[in-house]
Amino acid sequence: MKRLLETGNGAITEGAIIAGCRVFAGYPITPATEIAENMARRLPRAGGFYLQAEDELAALYICIGASAGGMKAMTATSGPGYILYADPFGWAISSEIPLVIVNSQRVGPVSGITGAPGQGEFYLSRYLTHGGNFENIVLAPAGVQEAFAITVQAFYLAERFRMPVTILADQLVTDGWETLLIPETGAELEAMGLKVIERRVNRGPEFYPATDAIDVPPVVLGHNTGAACSDWTPTAEGYDTEEVEWQHKHAYRLIYKVRNHKDLLTRYEAYFVDDEPEVILVAYGSPSRVVKSAVKVAREQGLKVGGLRLVTLWPFPEEIFSWQAKYLVVEMNYDGQLVREVQRATPKGSAIHFLGKCGELPRVAELVELIRALVNDRPLPCNPREREVW
Amino acid sequence: MDYLARKYLRPRKIPSTACSGCGLGQVHKKVLLAIDELGLGTGDIVWGTGIGCAGRQTFNTWKGDNFAGTHGRVYALATGLRLALPPEKKIILTVGDGDAFGIGLLHLLNCARRNVGLTVIVCDNLGYQSTGGQYGWTTPAGYCTDSSPLGMWEPNWVQGGRDILAVLKAAGATFLARHTSFEGRNAVLSIKKALLNNGFSLVHVYFPCVTNFGARALGTRRPAAIYQWFRERTAAMDQAGPEVDFPLRTGIYYDASNSRPEFCENLRAWVAEVQEQGGNR
Repeated sequence: MKRLLETGNGAITEGAIIAGCRVFAGYPITPATEIAENMARRLPRAGGFYLQAEDELAALYICIGASAGGMKAMTATSGPGYILYADPFGWAISSEIPLVIVNSQRVGPVSGITGAPGQGEFYLSRYLTHGGNFENIVLAPAGVQEAFAITVQAFYLAERFRMPVTILADQLVTDGWETLLIPETGAELEAMGLKVIERRVNRGPEFYPATDAIDVPPVVLGHNTGAACSDWTPTAEGYDTEEVEWQHKHAYRLIYKVRNHKDLLTRYEAYFVDDEPEVILVAYGSPSRVVKSAVKVAREQGLKVGGLRLVTLWPFPEEIFSWQAKYLVVEMNYDGQLVREVQRATPKGSAIHFLGKCGELPRVAELVELIRALVNDRPLPCNPREREVW
Repeated sequence: MDYLARKYLRPRKIPSTACSGCGLGQVHKKVLLAIDELGLGTGDIVWGTGIGCAGRQTFNTWKGDNFAGTHGRVYALATGLRLALPPEKKIILTVGDGDAFGIGLLHLLNCARRNVGLTVIVCDNLGYQSTGGQYGWTTPAGYCTDSSPLGMWEPNWVQGGRDILAVLKAAGATFLARHTSFEGRNAVLSIKKALLNNGFSLVHVYFPCVTNFGARALGTRRPAAIYQWFRERTAAMDQAGPEVDFPLRTGIYYDASNSRPEFCENLRAWVAEVQEQGGNR
């Protein structure tokens, strides 16, 4: 096991290389640029290719082309580049191309502040492309070691589900320095609970099963299998068709290959929940670490509070919001994105509260104050920019 | 398309759904003739397409492996694919004028700059015909289309001292040619040379659209009249042409085949060098 002081960007790079990524195409953007820089340094030494693309569309399409040719590929960006992925992302979803996309969120909308964290692409990460009729896999790391593990897992899931998998990080995760343990042998990797799947080749004649099946080898071009790969509605053989019946089958596959295998995907952390506390804090990414500290401090002060940290963001883990409570959702945005999903998922009679932060983390003391108010049924101190009772 | 179709195309894609009188089949056949004359088989080529008349009619016709990109983006996709495929596999892209010279131009120029080993056949019907006949980036000056009902007033890429092939040459393309679909051997020879170039090649082929461009810009749907319009304007690049409003100068525009390293081979060699040095570069 190699032990390093590393950033999230470095951890993602190492995770990708261990997972077999040999193509990285990217376009420089803060705070994801270091992933590109690390890849430019590390990939050639690992026998892989780094390409600086002419824009984000090209970056993701180059990755798609490399993956369609049989290589594992990854790209990384931040919000202003992520929105440009909408076109190629749809292509990869529809053609079932395995690859990994990293979005290190910064505060927005649009360019915002390059060096301040945000969580404004929660919904965009679910609905990045047009046309609907698909499900999506999005994972959110909260630290450097987890960024490493999630990257390896993302490649694993991309291969099994034949689709792009998104890592929705934030600036504090990708820029933050922490200790990183890197496995040096297969056994060490396995001990970390991580697996790597080699790329397989679908030799047809059925390139696209009209079912929810996973573990179907992806279509790889260049093996003279008569493979067809496009954004058009495919028949089982991959031919394009104008018949809506095939669109129904295609949509079923794209949605239910994910939904029907949700148990393989849902990851979360629940703490101080064994005694079914009245108040539950919910967060993902960097704010979840402050939330965890605040819950711990509040428990020490005798307040019955627990916490949920989401790792899998999409498909949304509704099932983990199984009991009625007062929920406080903490996010790094003012408009409340995660809070709407929590509101939808929680049992009737639950009260949903929201603390939003714009470009910065919440503070432990402020969270403890809110927890105390919720436990004692007092109204929350209301700063209209930051807090809202839902 | 006779024996070529049986040999190289999927039976379910014949006949094409292109409009009657469309010149796209002529372009398609020229590409197949070039492939056949070079003795290439379905396993030697991966065929990619864009969107529009050219992309839709040529997608998945090839019996070997196929792909279609979204509008204008197939060049970036093909760059990634080129990296992953063995160098001896050829990638042919059949795209439209809007796909190549409009929405996809940035990606196309970067393929030329990098000298990515692709053979791009731009099937140019002088505008956006599959969407109903709007002007495009090669629509002749002054001609009426649905989106230039009073005449094409916007500067295009092929008149007024501009030539998109000159732009591509400056960007670094190593083989460039221009033809019309009515030409016979010359066009096939150019496509063959393009396929033999181990780098970025582009063959620009004009073809007639009977349904929209013919009807709206030329005032006729009669293939013979449209053919006449093309013939009156076509002249070889190395000869003095007729004084016409829209000269179609055909032939090999630039041939620097195999003079620059192909991008992906170059990258592979560089990576091998880095590895040989034990990563101590």
